[in-house]
Amino acid sequence: MKIKKGPSTIIFNIIAYTLLALGAIVCVIPFLMILSGSFTDNHTILTQGYSLLPRDITVSAYKTIFKAPQDILHAYKMTIFYTGLGTFLGLMMITLTAYVISRKEFKYRNNISFLIYFTSIFGGGTIPWYLMYSSVLGLKGSTIAIWFPALMSPFLVILMRTFIVGSVPDAITESAKIDGAGHVTIFLRIVMPVLGPGLATIGLFLALGYWNDWYRSSMFSTDSSTWELQFYLYDLLNASTAIKQMSQNSGMATVELPTQSVKLAMAVVATGPVLAFYPFVQKYFVSGITVGAVKG
Amino acid sequence: MEVTNKQDKLAILFENRAGKKLGVWITLAVSALSVILMLPFANWIKIVNGYNLVTKLKVSTDQVALLKGGYPVYSMLSFVQHASAGIMGLFSMIMLMLAIATAYFQIAYLVKGLANIRGKKGELSLYGAAEAAMVFNILLTILTMVFAAFSNNKVGVKGFVPTAVVYVVLVISLLGYAVVKKLQAVERALYHEHGLWKELKKNWVLFLMLVPTFIYFLINNYLPMVGVYYAFTQFNFRDGLWASPFIGFKNFEYLVSADLFRLTRNTVLYNVVFICLGNLLQIIFAIFVSQVTVKWFKKTSQTLMFMPYFVSFVILKVIVYNLFEYDYGVINTFVTALGGERIDFYNTPSYWPFLITFFHIWKGIGYGMVVYLATIMGIDAELYDAAKVDGANVFQQIRFITLPQLKPTFIILLLYALGGIMKGQFELFYQMVGNNGLLFNVTDILDTYVYRIAMTQPLSIGLGTAAGLYQSVFGFILIMVTNWVVKRRNDEYALF
Repeated sequence: MKIKKGPSTIIFNIIAYTLLALGAIVCVIPFLMILSGSFTDNHTILTQGYSLLPRDITVSAYKTIFKAPQDILHAYKMTIFYTGLGTFLGLMMITLTAYVISRKEFKYRNNISFLIYFTSIFGGGTIPWYLMYSSVLGLKGSTIAIWFPALMSPFLVILMRTFIVGSVPDAITESAKIDGAGHVTIFLRIVMPVLGPGLATIGLFLALGYWNDWYRSSMFSTDSSTWELQFYLYDLLNASTAIKQMSQNSGMATVELPTQSVKLAMAVVATGPVLAFYPFVQKYFVSGITVGAVKG
Repeated sequence: MEVTNKQDKLAILFENRAGKKLGVWITLAVSALSVILMLPFANWIKIVNGYNLVTKLKVSTDQVALLKGGYPVYSMLSFVQHASAGIMGLFSMIMLMLAIATAYFQIAYLVKGLANIRGKKGELSLYGAAEAAMVFNILLTILTMVFAAFSNNKVGVKGFVPTAVVYVVLVISLLGYAVVKKLQAVERALYHEHGLWKELKKNWVLFLMLVPTFIYFLINNYLPMVGVYYAFTQFNFRDGLWASPFIGFKNFEYLVSADLFRLTRNTVLYNVVFICLGNLLQIIFAIFVSQVTVKWFKKTSQTLMFMPYFVSFVILKVIVYNLFEYDYGVINTFVTALGGERIDFYNTPSYWPFLITFFHIWKGIGYGMVVYLATIMGIDAELYDAAKVDGANVFQQIRFITLPQLKPTFIILLLYALGGIMKGQFELFYQMVGNNGLLFNVTDILDTYVYRIAMTQPLSIGLGTAAGLYQSVFGFILIMVTNWVVKRRNDEYALF
């Protein structure tokens, strides 16, 4: 069916394409700014300010970072450790829980679901939560306090349940049960093999959360050995701001350490992997959000 | 049913008297009696040996006058407060909450029993309510005795004695419990239902699978709830977390007189703007994307607009700082290049509500677009075809098909967002503003306030907990009200 484009369609298209292009540009320009700044000579930034396109292109900022890479490499290593361990354990626990609360024959599935859901509508607040880990369990400075608190979330459990209910028809598990399969067999042989997209989606949500976290380092780290990458970057930004203010207040010459372009290069290094992966895994996030949106 | 003889004796419980089984009447009577005994006239704890107790606790003379000879179950906290006995505070706080819960379950059972509500499974839900009522009664009485023993032990003087009321409630509740169990057993057999133990035996694998999750939520969510107790204490390092003086609602009073209004105003106003503007733009852009026919353009624009969602808030801080910095920020570079005056963003509060709103929308627009796009994709294509045949232009199609179809999604998202209106976007605010006190008047929200206390002012943790508790309780009430409204309008969309 071919319908002639009326004038209103043309007007609409002009508006839609223009605004979408504009929106996309606004969303992407800040990243270009960081990228171009990281390739700009520091002196140029100080004298002429930032710009959207790099002037006096140089990789000296990256060279500076990788001249003494121990710190950033350590932060990288820790973040990969937190992300790997947290995503693996979290995925396992979430999937098991979602499996249990999707079993119709389990009498308490609604009670369990409610207990999990309840945590998202009421909580003790930040300070009791913080004191629970730091004082009661004595985990301040430990890596456990960094990866443990983000293992699960009610949203992800409910999302996973939706995935399981949607991809494993009751009839199949019923017939497996008649054949004498226990819950372990059903879970490993029937549910897990068809749960690929669900696992990928939930896993990516978890991994993104771990990669981007700085909050738990700010609360529970006692020294830089347990810092997450994002907190390392945060500390770098803050430290250099503080140095700048101090030197301004005392009237001394500005201590340029680390330089503006080095900070930007660091931001690129810290975000690079996420943005490089993102176009390939975007569809999993979209499917996760869509499934979550449908169920509310 | 072991012995027929015994069963015959108990059969009287199942006899109908005035429309109900006698057993139900008995348990209802137990519930009613225990509610009456929880009223203020009945003391649950008697203070004996008062003089020794007061000297041991070093109660000041003006407070002594306030102490009474005995306390009802829910007012032991007032003793703790007047005696400044911090260590007993948490215990009596738990008692208070348990007392409230117990009273609630008694009344719930009374209402259910007297109103003759029958569920899908006959009287099982009624018996469930009765069981809960009895179990809570038993718990409360036993805990009262433990409280007396614990307090005597702590103070080192035998000063607290549970009164006869406690024993009476305990005995009648045990009796009621036995009756309920008998009634329940028969009813369960009727509906092929079973209790916890049988379920545990049957599905132990499922329970085992839940163990890690149970531990996680216990540590991360449920145990910290006990910590709301700090909101009622004045923390000091000498007495520690649990023994610091109990000061009742002083922290809340101070919050109300100092920061609470400003924090609530900021939190709520920002959220209202975020919700309205955010949803509006998300809908507009979702419609645009759905109408665009050039594939690569559709894909690219969506990918790019989704990108900010994936970066951490620390990167947002880098971006904001480099845009608005005074000396060499992008904006100021442009402004000076055009011959204007530099703008001092970081020292001018009035810019920040706009900047924060902008970057919130910037970061969330891709996510929200996906949600609305999912709904738009679910709209029946025939509707559009029919409209086209009728000669509707694209604006009319959007106005009369897309928007009405988006309405349910929009309303649901809106209501849930309203439920969360007390929850601030902590990371957004903290990374954009940081510890820049100059901007706090317009940028400080409850979450940043609490975080600052947790990190830098350990002596104020009572105050911070109070602010957090206020936020939690109000948020909870808002969600319950919202859900209730949704449920009344359309049961399908209710959260629970």
